Amino acid sequence: MGKTWQRTLAVGLAFVVAITGTFVFAYRAGRRVRHIGAENEPIRAWMSVPFIAHAHHVPANVLFQAIGVRPQEPHDRRSVRHIAHDLNRPVPDLIAQLQRAIDAAAQPPGGHPR
Amino acid sequence: MNDQLLAAVSQYGAPALFGIVTIAAIGVPLPITLLLIVAGSMISQGAMNLWWAIGLAGAGSILGDQAGYAIGRWGGPAVVAKITGLFGKRATLPAMEAQTKAWGGPGIYITRWLLSPLGPWVNLASGTARYPWHRFLFWDILGEITGAVVYIGLGRFFSDRVMALYAVLGDLTWAIAALLAAIVLGWQLLARLRRAEVQ
Repeated sequence: MGKTWQRTLAVGLAFVVAITGTFVFAYRAGRRVRHIGAENEPIRAWMSVPFIAHAHHVPANVLFQAIGVRPQEPHDRRSVRHIAHDLNRPVPDLIAQLQRAIDAAAQPPGGHPR
Repeated sequence: MNDQLLAAVSQYGAPALFGIVTIAAIGVPLPITLLLIVAGSMISQGAMNLWWAIGLAGAGSILGDQAGYAIGRWGGPAVVAKITGLFGKRATLPAMEAQTKAWGGPGIYITRWLLSPLGPWVNLASGTARYPWHRFLFWDILGEITGAVVYIGLGRFFSDRVMALYAVLGDLTWAIAALLAAIVLGWQLLARLRRAEVQ
């Protein structure tokens, strides 16, 4: 009898944990969905310059120009890490430079941010 | 390593996607959901063909799943133990086998795309439990094509919000897994309480 109740209690506790988990993760997902349009997409080393340009609504040639790279024809899909390696530069530096170019494109000289 | 795989898909497109999903379906833990979302985003940018992406992602996953099933069914206990031990799943395989028998086809379907981390272990368990191959193949194809269409479609739609979308899907997957666990546990709890009442 005692063991049966112990097992029932354990199942009950696991049930409560599962319900709590459901609500916590559903709430987190909902909160992320609400902010999905407001937050900037982070730049990662695996992303290509056209990929970053698309995520930030900036022409790819602006970003290529900003980092001083002439894109390889017809589509330069090299990752940021690959380009950094080719240029013999640290990846974080290149990412920072891309971010500055995106910020500059979002805020035209003398104007308000887009 | 994940960065290199994502960069490979970004640079080489659908053929790279095919190779990576095949390896992942055999049991190597790789971020397949993110890769499919990235593929969807690339389709939106005109850098990848939609049908090639869905076809190759689906075919690669099915191929890997079939390999997992074949290892489970015909590889023998030593090979299965070696593979599961390699990824720390040896202890859970008998439990997975019991689940595969209990859930059958819908269990296979859901672990192809919604609870995909369990997929490779369900493949092995389906093989060792001698789940009929033609039924496994049917649910496998259905599940993998669903997964490719859903995640590539989402990536295509939210093509400029790939990382944010991936985070949302991660939380949603955990929420659904917790909900399924709550349903099973709630059912067990109810049965136990009823039994206690009768006694």
